[in-house]
Amino acid sequence: MPETAATAIEFAGVTKRYESAVAVEDLDLAIPAGLITTFVGPSGCGKTTSLRMINRMVEATEGTILIQGEDNRDRPAHELRRSMGYVMQQAGLMPHRTVADNIATVPRLKGASRADGRARALELMDTVGLDRKLAKRYPAQLSGGQAQRVGVARALAADSPILLMDEPFSAVDPVVRTDLQNELVRLHEQLERTIVFVTHDIDEAVALGHRIAVFGEGGRIAQFGTPEEILRAPADDFVASFVGRDRGLRRLTFASGQELPMHPLEGGTASGLERPWAPWELLLDDAARPAGWRFGEREVTGGTLFTPGGSLREALDAVLSSPSGWGVAVDDAGRAAGLIASDDVMAAAGRERRSRYGVGE
Amino acid sequence: MGNLSTVGHLTWLHLLQSVLPVVLGTLISIPIARFAAGRRARGAGGRRGAGRVRRGVVVNAAALLYTVPSLALFVLLPLILGTSITSLTNVIVALTLYVVAMMVRSCVDAFESVSPEVLDAGTAMGYRPLRAFFGIELPLSVPVMAAGLRVALVSNISMVSVGAVIGIQSLGTLFTDGLRRDLMAEIVVGILATVVLALVLDRLVTWSAAALTRWQVRA
Ligand SMILES: Nc1ncnc2c1ncn2[C@@H]1O[C@H](COP(=O)(O)OP(=O)(O)OP(=O)(O)O)[C@@H](O)[C@H]1O
Ligand SMILES: [Mg+2]
Repeated sequence: MPETAATAIEFAGVTKRYESAVAVEDLDLAIPAGLITTFVGPSGCGKTTSLRMINRMVEATEGTILIQGEDNRDRPAHELRRSMGYVMQQAGLMPHRTVADNIATVPRLKGASRADGRARALELMDTVGLDRKLAKRYPAQLSGGQAQRVGVARALAADSPILLMDEPFSAVDPVVRTDLQNELVRLHEQLERTIVFVTHDIDEAVALGHRIAVFGEGGRIAQFGTPEEILRAPADDFVASFVGRDRGLRRLTFASGQELPMHPLEGGTASGLERPWAPWELLLDDAARPAGWRFGEREVTGGTLFTPGGSLREALDAVLSSPSGWGVAVDDAGRAAGLIASDDVMAAAGRERRSRYGVGE
Repeated sequence: MGNLSTVGHLTWLHLLQSVLPVVLGTLISIPIARFAAGRRARGAGGRRGAGRVRRGVVVNAAALLYTVPSLALFVLLPLILGTSITSLTNVIVALTLYVVAMMVRSCVDAFESVSPEVLDAGTAMGYRPLRAFFGIELPLSVPVMAAGLRVALVSNISMVSVGAVIGIQSLGTLFTDGLRRDLMAEIVVGILATVVLALVLDRLVTWSAAALTRWQVRA
């Protein structure tokens, strides 16, 4: 993650006033280029309004918004919009157009031929992990997750360095949402676009954002920073309460589990004891991947796995979800690599805490 | 029994008098309804004060027009247009007014049935208003509009028959003539021909609408 990135989008003293209410007040914000910035905050705090002022779906009452240094009012609104991707909550697909035609919307608006638009659409279906067989389907024939992928592909078709996303994954079930989030991170690494992502789920904001803007009541920014900064040092009570109860746990997401002592599967050495997890016995399949635990005659499903480069949070979860109380670490190929002890995880969390406050051991 | 060519000629006249006003009336209704429809591609805003008044005025004016009896309209129009009561122009204009009265409401409903999210998405993609109208709003209004169109068409076909009472030539002429001359067969032919015409046209509209709305999921 580059630390000092150029600014892609800059809000300078932006206010949006409606007859009835002020939606966004005097917003100053510099969104770094090439990173994912999440807007998070309670309902009605002006996230959507702020996002829509970027592509002028909503016109600012006061202030200016600079896109790569250029006032976004210098260009006709429709050109500005064609120059950035936009993904909305319910995908917002055109129900009367096929998947391929939906994805090709912006290229076609820019004058691409039908054939070129279609070719581009098929390419993008690969990019977002959609089966090309779906190209001729209508949106009503897609699952929610597929529809969102089409929405993302359509936004990518704008071929712009900027992608705006308004709660794109909030209408799909949690499993699909996690998939889509991972996919977005992968896409981002591959395409390096500037992404502005609106959500009201702090977990999603933390999982995706390189930077998080926490919006408070009345469209003011309560805090802007990296997820770690916001979880470690909430600027005020509002941010602290919004960041929520599981703050301590979430913070472990940013602590590396690399230093954790690894106990060999055969037991011995590190623990002194022969096999400290006895009477539990780790089961492996033919490819040496973990396949659950055995206790006497009983075989039980294993817990979550600790993957190379995983965080302390992942390590803690591996320990807590394991029937034996020992977390299973795997290598890149998914083969069991060793076991981790709960005491070691707690000790590492303690070290992380002490170093954070500069208190020696 | 009247000869086949007379029936053929009357069917043609009936067809012309029922289809042309539906086409014209619908073309006139679409812009009026679009102007009056409450929802705009303006996102969260929804319907505002001025827009609500406009919608009310247009929809009620259309409803009022519809309450004028058709025979009265046939007789009244010549006073305004200077045409003769039985002229084709007179009939076409009168029936077009009826179709407008019916279709304005259907078209307003049709435009309001289009999801504002989809219109928003169009704006977000960079559609300009005219292209958004023809490329998104109009095609998505077809299902609701077609339902109104079927009603307008069938009721128009029966209204054309009524015109026969004041001497306008159509399949209705077969009833009036049959009644006058006490020819049961002629009346039956008139009824059958009218029913067949209505069924065929109704099917045609249904099929065209289905062809235009293949994107809808059918139960
Ligand atoms: N067109 C409008 N007319 C009047 N008020 C509006 C309009 N659009 C938004 N608002 C108001 O502006 C405020 C901010 O709305 P906005 O949609 O930006 O919130 P949000 O943070 O996206 O909320 P949510 O999480 O519920 O989507 C709200 O109080 C809303 O009622
Ligand atoms: Mg919102």
